[in-house]
Amino acid sequence: MSGVPVRPTADAASMERLIGRLLIGGTYVAMASTLIGVGLMLAGGTDPLAHGAIPPFHPATVLADLLALRPLGFLWSGVILVILLPIGRVAVAGVGFLAARDRRMAGISLLVLLVVLISVAAALGLEG
Amino acid sequence: MSGCRPLIAGLLLLVGGAAAGLFGSLLGLGGGILLVPLMTLVFGLPLREAVAISLVSVVVTSSASAAVYLERHVANLRLGMTLELFSAAGALVGGLVAFVLSDRLLAGLFAALITWVAISMARRKDPPKGAPASPAPAAMPATGTVTAGGALVDSLSGDGYRIHGLGIGVGGSVVAGLASALLGVGGGIVKVPVMNLGMGVPLRVATATSNMMMGITAVSSAVIYLLRGEIDPFVAGPIALGVFIGASTGPRIASRIDTRVLRWMFVLVLAYTASQMVRKAAGL
Repeated sequence: MSGVPVRPTADAASMERLIGRLLIGGTYVAMASTLIGVGLMLAGGTDPLAHGAIPPFHPATVLADLLALRPLGFLWSGVILVILLPIGRVAVAGVGFLAARDRRMAGISLLVLLVVLISVAAALGLEG
Repeated sequence: MSGCRPLIAGLLLLVGGAAAGLFGSLLGLGGGILLVPLMTLVFGLPLREAVAISLVSVVVTSSASAAVYLERHVANLRLGMTLELFSAAGALVGGLVAFVLSDRLLAGLFAALITWVAISMARRKDPPKGAPASPAPAAMPATGTVTAGGALVDSLSGDGYRIHGLGIGVGGSVVAGLASALLGVGGGIVKVPVMNLGMGVPLRVATATSNMMMGITAVSSAVIYLLRGEIDPFVAGPIALGVFIGASTGPRIASRIDTRVLRWMFVLVLAYTASQMVRKAAGL
């Protein structure tokens, strides 16, 4: 126990760069999908504030909506990509920590992902 | 004329999201504190729906800013990931509790949060002109001693500082996660002071680390809102796009804006918003 603060190693620095690129690239892709979705929605005459009930989220129909150039496909893709980005960030960091044999941080990454998984399970359980 | 209505509504949401993202980035806040009142008080959305959409926007802001902070090595990835385990757990609980609380109670909680933020901003001291907002991390003295904490504390400390008060950080992260899930905010208003004052993390690092943590914290409850059908993609789309544009523009124009005037304008807006939320909570 040295008490000397830890400086990021070259490996840690390159992992942070990789995660940074993943986040910014992913954000641009998500926003591009959202932009197309908003454009199609407005071109199709859908009023975002007066369209009736919230459309239900069915993962199985997103791809079909995308291929048919329906706005919902692009809008849901944007939302899902946005949600997946921080999950991807934790997963990539976890793999990086594992490769660096940092078992404690790899374990923490796994636990964070487990919390998200419990959220999904809890939401599905409440719905059912 | 009615044919223009969708376009006008879409543009209003886009501009509203951009304004929230811009003001949030100029004042060092997430957009949620402005987005939720905007969507409920101006656009008439139910509070829970507004919270759900705000959480999506919080993730957008977090991912975009965390990317920059990580590439510049300002955020403390190890500390952030350790604390976000607890903020995500708090958000999981908050996301579930949100569905058993009434809109009026949520509005009351939001009013209390806004009042706290307004008071904090009114009491904030401006740095002298020309001085940096906070010292660079490497320039900060190392705090704490070699004694307590051990290897874990060492591994979570950063370049030029040593953390302490890990328990305070854990508790603060749980509270921030709960607040994020219940009220659709990033929780930085809790995490930044906890890390900076309670754990000895330099302000700039605390802000960057908190920004990074917001993403997974918001996701932990956003998936609950998504799967329970509370995220309206037709509203979330233009709002998230607007927030992204506003939050990206903020840093580019920050040096040309007198943030002191902006801050006091913001305090007034928050005070008015808090009064409207109190009215909503009281059912008036």
